[in-house]
Amino acid sequence: MRIFSLLLIAVFFLFAGFSCSKDNGESDKLTISVIPKGTTQEFWKSIHAGAVKASQELDVNILWVGPEKEDDRQQQITLINNQIIGQVDGIVLAPLDDMAIRRPVKSAVDKNIPVVIVDSGLKDSEDVYTSFIATDNFEGGKIAGRQLGEMLEGNGKVILLRYNEGSASTDKREAGFMEAIAEFSGIEVVSDEQYAGVTKATAQQASENLILRFRDEQGTLGFDGIFCPNESSTYGMLQALQRNRLEGQVKFVGFDASPALIEGLEKGEIHGLVVQNPFNMGYLGVKTMVAHLNGQPVEKRIDTGVHFITQENMTQPDMQELIKPDLDKWLKEN
Amino acid sequence: MAERELNQSAETTPRLEMHNISKRFGATIALDGVTFSVLPGEVHALVGENGAGKSTLMKILSGAHQPDEGSMRLEGEAYHPRHPLDARLTGVGMIYQELSLALHLTVEENILLGMEPAKWGWVNRQEVRQRASDAIQRFNHPEIQPQTPVRELSVSARQLVEIGRSLAVGCQVLVLDEPTSSLSREDIRRLFEIVRDLKAQGLSIIYISHFLEEVQEIADRVTVLRDGKTIDTRNVSDVSPDEIVRMMVGREMKDLYPRSPRQQGDVLLTVNQLSGPEKPESASFDLHRGEVLGIFGLVGAGRTELLRTIFGLDELKSGEIKIGAFVGPGVPVEHWQAGMGMLSEDRKEEGLALNLSIADNVTLSRLRDFGPARLVMPQQQNNATNQWIERLNIRCREPQQLINELSGGNQQKAALARLLQHDVDILLLDEPTRGIDVAAKALIYQVIDDIASKQPAKAVLMISSYLPELLGVCDRIAVMHRGQLGEALPTASWDEHKLMLEATGQ
Amino acid sequence: MNWKILNKFGPFLALLFVYVFFALLDAKITTFTALETMLLQTVIVGISAIGMTLVIIAGGIDLAAGSIIALGSVVVALLLESFQFSPLVAALGGIGAGALCGIFNGLLITRLRLVPFIVTLGSLLIVRGVAKGLSGSIPINVGHTPLSNLLAALPADQKWQLLPSGAWLMIILAALIAGMLRYTKLGRHIFAVGSNEQTARLCGVAVERVKLFVYTAAGAFSGISGLMLMSYQEQGDPTGAIGLELDVIAAVVIGGGSLNGGEGSILGSIIGAVIMTVIRTGCQLNGWPPWVTQIVTGLVIVLAVLVDQLRHRQTA
Repeated sequence: MRIFSLLLIAVFFLFAGFSCSKDNGESDKLTISVIPKGTTQEFWKSIHAGAVKASQELDVNILWVGPEKEDDRQQQITLINNQIIGQVDGIVLAPLDDMAIRRPVKSAVDKNIPVVIVDSGLKDSEDVYTSFIATDNFEGGKIAGRQLGEMLEGNGKVILLRYNEGSASTDKREAGFMEAIAEFSGIEVVSDEQYAGVTKATAQQASENLILRFRDEQGTLGFDGIFCPNESSTYGMLQALQRNRLEGQVKFVGFDASPALIEGLEKGEIHGLVVQNPFNMGYLGVKTMVAHLNGQPVEKRIDTGVHFITQENMTQPDMQELIKPDLDKWLKEN
Repeated sequence: MAERELNQSAETTPRLEMHNISKRFGATIALDGVTFSVLPGEVHALVGENGAGKSTLMKILSGAHQPDEGSMRLEGEAYHPRHPLDARLTGVGMIYQELSLALHLTVEENILLGMEPAKWGWVNRQEVRQRASDAIQRFNHPEIQPQTPVRELSVSARQLVEIGRSLAVGCQVLVLDEPTSSLSREDIRRLFEIVRDLKAQGLSIIYISHFLEEVQEIADRVTVLRDGKTIDTRNVSDVSPDEIVRMMVGREMKDLYPRSPRQQGDVLLTVNQLSGPEKPESASFDLHRGEVLGIFGLVGAGRTELLRTIFGLDELKSGEIKIGAFVGPGVPVEHWQAGMGMLSEDRKEEGLALNLSIADNVTLSRLRDFGPARLVMPQQQNNATNQWIERLNIRCREPQQLINELSGGNQQKAALARLLQHDVDILLLDEPTRGIDVAAKALIYQVIDDIASKQPAKAVLMISSYLPELLGVCDRIAVMHRGQLGEALPTASWDEHKLMLEATGQ
Repeated sequence: MNWKILNKFGPFLALLFVYVFFALLDAKITTFTALETMLLQTVIVGISAIGMTLVIIAGGIDLAAGSIIALGSVVVALLLESFQFSPLVAALGGIGAGALCGIFNGLLITRLRLVPFIVTLGSLLIVRGVAKGLSGSIPINVGHTPLSNLLAALPADQKWQLLPSGAWLMIILAALIAGMLRYTKLGRHIFAVGSNEQTARLCGVAVERVKLFVYTAAGAFSGISGLMLMSYQEQGDPTGAIGLELDVIAAVVIGGGSLNGGEGSILGSIIGAVIMTVIRTGCQLNGWPPWVTQIVTGLVIVLAVLVDQLRHRQTA
């Protein structure tokens, strides 16, 4: 155990050394930490790229630090606390949890480090954070519900595969979806209690089991439409459909975009994707923070908007910009 | 003390009575109506072969097992402990062969472990120290200080800490289970002094041992168990060791140490100027075919280190080992291949893999020729093992039985069977009869005699702390003292006194 | 005697119990498709559990298994996509990468005599980092390749194969390693090292070589699991299999493995992995939320350990 703690301390100092050297080198510039929920999904890459764009335009430093897993609240709290210790000028944060992250955010603000929230909300903290820049997730879910309902012409059975317990943004999408779908009296939600879990493999397993559950002996499916509220659950469901050779046979609406999902859309295996504008979220997040630090007034709530992409409209230039942003342009230089 | 007066007035009232105790495990009857009592201020020896029921009886006494039948009384009141702590708090303390101390804690922490005087969870360290010192001052042992971590203590001192733990809660009955099996002569003497002292203070001591001389020396009365029954309880002064042995085994033990004519052959093992990191220092000897060479020494003299260095388990600093054509220091696998095997002194920690089967343990060093294409077929392992089970009279159900289900003596036979199965020419035996019953000992002596005398004869190098056994079994004996190995002289030129003088460096 | 039976068939009885329980609730779980799906969902954990069983029998632990699985999937995807290697070479590359991680663990444990728990805790992070670094922290999409068929339900014209090749691979590997454990010198030595290292050394067992072997094997098997994950997701996923090592260890423990070493069986571990899949699938088929699955799985693990303890008390 002793070796382990030594190792930890060594790693800590290593990182401390890193950040110190950065600070010392360019200490006259503003330093803003950008903390996503995770680091590996396309979505966060886009936020990163947007933040980089803003930082270059405004000549500030950004520190991109995120937790390993998208359900590791503990690690995100630690990260926020480390930014406080590191005395950055501001934090742009996508909170993993609308409750658990409130205290570290409060303590950052108490130490005069303003926080801009992006992507997901924090409960009852309007007086604490500087601005909240996000997709209206509830609205996004409603769009998905309305579109799926129209694809099914108001009749049929649908499945909602939820993402993970305690994720505020997907909770809202799921709620929005349920509200919109309820307006179609001919549509019945046959399952909305299953969760995909954090990895794609667990999403895929849950999807396979849903298919197993609703397919009868003759092989006919007991549902006509599916909604998945984020990238990993949509991907897992797509894989499961393909593996059961059901792709394209049910109306399938997902959320967020990644190359694999776009390919599914092109092939007609996915019928619609609600996409957000994460690039804009990162861009506006840093921009708003800098404006606030420079003493300019900022808006308390900024909606970055959602779009519904289908096979028909996906080739339009503005949609292309959304689904295939040129991330490398911003991230490679970094 | 008021207590002592009470004891004197109640001279003949037993402090502890176990009446008609029976206990069965499945189909085996472990105890069959055993009756046993201990007086105040008495050392009462409990002897019997392994499997005779001693440990079951003690486990019932300590509350680890519940009796099927029978009753117990302590100080005249009904006594039925539900678990060992219960027993200890009621007044019966057990000191086991395998000491149960927390090595990282200090002496005082160990003594009051589990019953620390505390308020609101805060330990009252003052009182801990007080009560611990009260308990250990009776020993007057230089090593034992309240603050010393137990891992820094010698085995004998640890044992006293364990005794102190029972004294600290005011136990009036102490059970010592094979207390001397890992002690040097000097430590045994000191332990006996303490036992006599405790006895004079009115404590009752149940003394379990395989060493009948010790029983003669320390005990007032002796109870013999055999096959789960009480054979007899006698005053030690009225009974000879031979008689005790006869009661234990139920037959005459005419010749414990058989000695067939042995023919000494060529040199099998030459050890030349062997030195380890500390011990041994420059040890040299030859070992011949058809010879049993004994090494005697006090604990700490470096006997085990000598054997381990020869076998390649401990680091060799300088010197040479020659086994036939094989020369040099080597690792155990090379020695097994060269025809040398070793029996460890520590059955549980090193000698045996306790949660493997008998067959796996017996064949572990040589998993060859048990099937085609270098495969190891369990059936053939069993066949090989069965042969040893029969020859060494190992009491078990089947070769695939887990070895930790066997009694100590039978485990030791299995450990020895490994060397026989491997068919090594040189057997290094470290305390081959430690902690096993008389019948198993006799069998091991017989095996040693056989391998040294029957053609083709083998060579045995044997370490022992037990003088009668060395004198009875060996052809030559060398004495080790503080890492130095003396010259190996014919057994005829030694006696117990001379060996002891040499071992103590006088 | 009845304890011996419980020892040998305990995991199997548990599986039977769990399966019958869910079958009574919903007969769907008894269809061929359901069985096939469950078997496929077991393969990733199952193959890694084969290696983990060896490590646990030898008295060690491999916490890096989940990370090695992710690395394996990334390496296979990279070799296929970026280097255009043939599927076979890519697959071997992924397995090789896993084996290398295992050698790394094994060398640290044997040469530097470090505690396995801590060494593999370290490599859990190191290997995960390498996987992210290699992939640039994004999933590598591979699309449909011959490797995808490893873990796909069989199409109608190939039903003669009975099971998808990934499932066969798991079964064959399990049988081979179970045979190795029972019928070879190395197998006995693995048990001996885990049961009592000192005894093994006394008996001339090359303890260090045995340990190096088990960790390397565990790495290689996790590499194969990584290949399976790649096949399953059609994607090299640097964040995949997070925390999966705990599922793998749980499978071994449910299957009768003892974390003290010297005990465990390949068949048991595979059954342990199947039990966990059956519980998950069964709960999802009945529309029960994930928290139920987690509670039930947890209870089964505790029960398995409890039965193990009772058995030990009985024989001691």
